[in-house]
This record gives sequence, structure tokens and C-alpha cells, in this order.
Amino acid sequence: MAQPAGLLYSKEHEWLKVEGDTATVGITDYAQNSLGDIVFVELPRIGAALKQHANIGVVESVKAVSDLFTPAGGEVVEVNAALEADPALVNRDAFGDGWLYKIKIDASSMPDALLGPDDYEKLVATS
Amino acid sequence: MSDARTALYDDHLAFGARMVPFGGFEMPVSYAGILREHDAVRHRAGLFDLSHMAQYHLEGPGVGHWADALTVNDVATMKPGQARYNIFTNDAGGCHDDVLFYRLDENRWLLVVNAGNAAKMWPYLVARADGRRDVKITSGHGSRALVAVQGPLATEIVAQLVDADITVMKYYTCVETHVCGVPAIVARTGYTGEDGFEIFVDSDAASELWRNLFERGSRFGLEPAGLGARDVLRLEAGMPLYGHELDESISPVAGGQRWAVKTRKAAFRGRDAIVAELEADTHDRIAGIVLDGRVPARDGYAVYVGDERVGTVRSGSMAPSVENKNIATVLVTKAASVLGGSLDVEIRGTRHRATVVALPFYKRPTP
Repeated sequence: MAQPAGLLYSKEHEWLKVEGDTATVGITDYAQNSLGDIVFVELPRIGAALKQHANIGVVESVKAVSDLFTPAGGEVVEVNAALEADPALVNRDAFGDGWLYKIKIDASSMPDALLGPDDYEKLVATS
Repeated sequence: MSDARTALYDDHLAFGARMVPFGGFEMPVSYAGILREHDAVRHRAGLFDLSHMAQYHLEGPGVGHWADALTVNDVATMKPGQARYNIFTNDAGGCHDDVLFYRLDENRWLLVVNAGNAAKMWPYLVARADGRRDVKITSGHGSRALVAVQGPLATEIVAQLVDADITVMKYYTCVETHVCGVPAIVARTGYTGEDGFEIFVDSDAASELWRNLFERGSRFGLEPAGLGARDVLRLEAGMPLYGHELDESISPVAGGQRWAVKTRKAAFRGRDAIVAELEADTHDRIAGIVLDGRVPARDGYAVYVGDERVGTVRSGSMAPSVENKNIATVLVTKAASVLGGSLDVEIRGTRHRATVVALPFYKRPTP
């Protein structure tokens, strides 16, 4: 399966859509499929300052708790409130309605080691 | 050591299973998704491969009394065709394994033990049968398969494939018969809280049986179901899982299985310890809780009443059959186990309120 163009990907299976100095962050379709039915998402608070690569929340499936890492540092400006009532949105639309949060990217921590769609596809194809 | 494969390994891959190591075998944790499989079992039917569980064949006139001395429930009084839950105990009254006995006829029994306990149970049983001419034990672990059909439509799916009339079978009975033309033991038992059948056959016959059951069952909405769904189903139904609600340090009484302990049996291993525990009635014990919030409680999380640590979560899951609430079993002090009481579960540093409820969390609707 081709990975959506226009997004950046982390090796921890998060995606990042950068628009100006703001980025929308989610987990990839590969990640949601590996996790299975998602029953709870714990997100950072609006206004929280995230350090790049920090553990900033969890995604819980029926079977397991998985840590969320942030691919870029910055201040949380919005979280996907719909996930509170309907965490399975992440399963149904990981790249769309199942987005997790938005951050104002800290200029000093612009994401570096992120992958483009083709390289990320290679990563999951060999996982 | 790499994990063994059941006779159905290739079938699992063909059905798109995600495989995980469990009890020494590579087993399907899920096919189309745990919640979907759970829904199939509660409302239609699910098809399970349980061939990882160890099947031992017991034979001889002494089996009943021999087993009675090692377990808490009655064995010798079982009638041919009966199945019964039981627990092997240690000297301290802890659980060595929880098992099912199936009495096939006067002298022959099938004993099914947990896959994860087979490595200790097999030498344990062999040592205790050693030198006895009235108890012979042989292992079918690996050479025998077990396929289960569980769910309200199980009878309609299985009946036509079985020579015997299974529609008249009572819950917890078994029969030696033929299924799809091959010799099989069919038992009306299960671990999901639903009606259903467990079918024991030689491993050679398992794949054809699996495909026949799937083919017939798919017309009724049957789906293959993995260990992930099975764990949620059994937890909702209040059934213990060895290593969680029961282990070597938890007695059948503390683990919520008092009903299976027949203290009127004159002697069995661990009896003194269990009787003393019952009389003192001060032991920690398994209780069921329902959490207020949407955060699942997991095995190992700490449980508090106020500032006092009162116990630990032993199993937990979101429960589709309990209004999608988060349920858990906890091993807690007597005072903390009172029905209706409030507890807090610590989850990632935050306390989450829960209420103690009666087990089981879910009972199937009576037909």
C-alpha cells in the first residue's frame, strides 16, 4: 500500500503534516492495524510544551498499551477531542479524522530524521 | 527454543491471523479484529483453535481416587459422559493448574491442562502415577488437536457434522463419536460464557475439520476467533485464567473458585491449608471491578482505598458485553472486596475510581 504523499513519517510510525510552523500529528495506518481495535487515546494537554522524541501519551488497544512519541518538539495548540468518545476513529481513518494533536513547531527542534512516503513504505514493507 | 505450531498453523495464516507465542505455541491472537470476533461469539459463533492446550489420556480403575487426592473437586463420583472443572493444588493450597476432566467411560478419562503449565504438569502427573498399575497416563500434547465452536448458533453449526445427537447434550457433558467421519470427542464445554462445543480429534484430522466447520458455519455468521477475543470473553464471563486469577500462591478460594472446593473430601493435597484459610477468612481475594472512566485497567496496576494499597489488578479489559465499560479482576484485601465498595486504580500516576461488582460481569441470556 502506498503511503499518503505530503506527509512526513517517523520510525515509530507517527505521521506529521507540516503547514507553516504548525504540524498535525497522527499514527499511521500500519500502526493502527498493528495495534488492533483502539479503545483509549491519552493525549497531551493544550498548551503543553513537548520535547522532540518525548513520550507524550498512549494509545491503548484491547490487548496492549503503546506509548506515543512526538516526532517534533513544540507547543500543543489543538487535540482531537472526538477521540475521547470515539477512539476507534484512529482505526477507521488514521491519516484523516483520526489525527491526534497539532503542535506549533519549536524552530530549534525542526524534525530531522523523518522519512518521506517512499522510505516509510520501505520501512513497513520490511517490518 | 522456538515455538511449536498446531496442525492448523497454515489455516490461521490463510485466514489472515496475527500470530503470537502463547504457552509454547505460535497461536492466532486475532484475525479480523478482537472486537469483531468477540461480537461473532456473543451473537453468532466463533471458531477457535485450542490445540495448544495439553490433552492427557488417563486410564484405569484407580484414576478417580488418584485424582481426588490431588485436586479440590470431585473426580471419582463423575459419571461417564460428564465433564468437570477442577484444580490441582500444592501443599500450601495454591493452584498448580486449573483443568477439565472428561469422563469418557468407566475407566477412561481425558484431562485438559493449560498449555503454559504443561511443562510442569506432565512430569508432576507422571511421577504420581509412577508404579501404579491402576492409573496409566499418556500424553496427546501435540498429537491431538482441539477445535471449539462457541456462540448461540453453535448447535446449529455443529450438529449436522456429528454422528451423535448433540442437541440433547447437557452443558458439561461429553460423548465419543465421529465428526466429519473421523473419531472425535465432542464436549459441550467452553471458556467464553456462551453455549458451545469443544471437539477433540487427532491432529491429522484437524485441518479438514476446521475447514468443514468454517464452511458450514460461515452461513450462520461464524468467524474464526483468536486468543485476544477469548481472553475478553472469559473475563466478562468471570472465568479465571491461570497466571492471573489463579497461580501457585493463590488458592482456589482466594481465586474465586470456592464452589469447586469440596472440603468434605477427606483428604486432598493442600486441604489443610485451604480449610484453615476458609476458617480464618482473612485472606486477600479476587473481586470484580468496573471502572468509571474510559481508561483500561491492566494486569499489575496498583489498587488503593484512600492512601492504603489494598491490592493489584490481575486482568483487565474494555468489555463490549458490559456496556463497553472497563472491567477488571483485582486481588485485594477482604475489606476492599465488599460488593458496592469504591476503589482506586493507579494508571500512569493517576487514580481512577472503580466500583466492586459481583462476578461474573456477563451472563448469557437464558434461552
